[in-house]
Amino acid sequence: MKAGLGKGAASGLIVPVAILLAWQALAWRAGTPLFPGPWQVALSIWKLWPVIVGQIGYTLMRAFAGFVVAAVLMIPLGILLGRLKTVGRLVEPMMDMLATLPPPAVVPIVMLFAGTGDIAKIVIIAYAAAVPLIMNTYEASKGLHVMANQVARSLRLTRLETMLHIDLPASLPMIATGLRLAIASALLVSVTSEMLLATNGIGVFIQRQQENFQIAGGLAAIAFISVIGLIINNLVFQLEKRWLFWHYRSSESHSDG
Amino acid sequence: MSAASLTSFGALHRLNAIVSFLLIAAAWQLVAVSGAVPAKYFPDIPAIASAFWSMLTSGELPGAELRTLTRALTGLAGASILGVGLAVLSDLSPVFRRGFAPVAALIQPIPPAALVPMAVFMLGLGPSLYAFIIILVTVWPPYFNGVAALAGVLGEQIRSGQMMALGRWQMLWQIKLPAALPEIFAGIRYASTISLIAVVVAEMLAGHDGLGFLLIRKAFAIRIPEVYALMFVCALNGILMTALIGLLRWQLTGWHMRMTEQPA
Repeated sequence: MKAGLGKGAASGLIVPVAILLAWQALAWRAGTPLFPGPWQVALSIWKLWPVIVGQIGYTLMRAFAGFVVAAVLMIPLGILLGRLKTVGRLVEPMMDMLATLPPPAVVPIVMLFAGTGDIAKIVIIAYAAAVPLIMNTYEASKGLHVMANQVARSLRLTRLETMLHIDLPASLPMIATGLRLAIASALLVSVTSEMLLATNGIGVFIQRQQENFQIAGGLAAIAFISVIGLIINNLVFQLEKRWLFWHYRSSESHSDG
Repeated sequence: MSAASLTSFGALHRLNAIVSFLLIAAAWQLVAVSGAVPAKYFPDIPAIASAFWSMLTSGELPGAELRTLTRALTGLAGASILGVGLAVLSDLSPVFRRGFAPVAALIQPIPPAALVPMAVFMLGLGPSLYAFIIILVTVWPPYFNGVAALAGVLGEQIRSGQMMALGRWQMLWQIKLPAALPEIFAGIRYASTISLIAVVVAEMLAGHDGLGFLLIRKAFAIRIPEVYALMFVCALNGILMTALIGLLRWQLTGWHMRMTEQPA
């Protein structure tokens, strides 16, 4: 078993190593600091990591703030719209339209109302995170099983209680998908908004590196972003498995049976 | 479930969309006229429409729009083909699948905006810049969905292929890919929105041409009605793209949609 695992890991390394070698070969052929290979990037990571970690802190903080604002506002709103069918039907095309509007396109407008400070960036991040959240929550609560409604009625739950005790838990699996998408887009837009409304953060760091022709330094920062993204994705996945175990268990038994 | 009920369902949906759009426009106009928000930041509908019209007739907008759409569409097509190709390769070779999974997991969270400044130096401002950025961010949904769908092809379907003594490629081409296509298309649909975002961001940061560049230039020139008009065009592009993908999907996987779609 152990030997088999080791062999699997070794064969799994072939593709990444091949990609790194190909990149390094391309960099040697280009022979300019404007096209660094993985080796130069590794050196830059070694040199710059304290700065990068500090700057990423700002970026993550804003991403988190925007995400929380979006989650607190949009999950209840989505459930409410799913309940109020007529309003929901009218708002639905509007949501579809907003969903197609790329978050960075909102930047110029937000800039007018909120300037270029932290608030403006958090607003943009919240907008980006809000779209997947409200769409998933609304879809889930709209498509609830009729039986759930009848249970609520026979228990004489009030509207608010129904939303809290029936709609919310039943929609959770789809809300979790929305949360995952929202976290990804919050991170993404956090970096983008920094680059367009420069003050601090990893996006600005990357731009400074570019202005000083330090391409390897910029790629080092990108490597940090990608590792952090990977860690956050895994974390979310683990939390989802822990909190939504009932959903996974039932869907697993379905596929088995 | 006939075609008639399907079209009436579509018509109802369209009516809803029109009513909703008119409501938004009316609410917008009301806010603008009431003066609750400074008119400079919140122009009324006629001002936005006339800004739209003047950009349209000056040729500024059609040029930028054409560039942006071409970039998004070619990028999406390339990314879809590459993504499905990688998924097929992963399906054929476990070594490749194991090796490529960590690469995908690492590249996937990189925001396109972070890539633009580096890529400008490495690739210049030409089409290869946009192709690189769009493909690097949009290849993942078709790839992940493709891998999952190819792995999830039903045992019965595979066994009936084996019974007909199909070769490896025939099996892939005639059984696995068609079975996986609906899920792959869900990935491509998602990729289409990302590709539009990536193009606009790249244009905003590369600062050369296209819709994103126009948006930034108008914003810094404080031409607010123009900015709103451009945002509207951006949203319209998304709708256009979704419709295009829907059409293609109907052509390729109409059998599946007719089987599972339940109108009414």
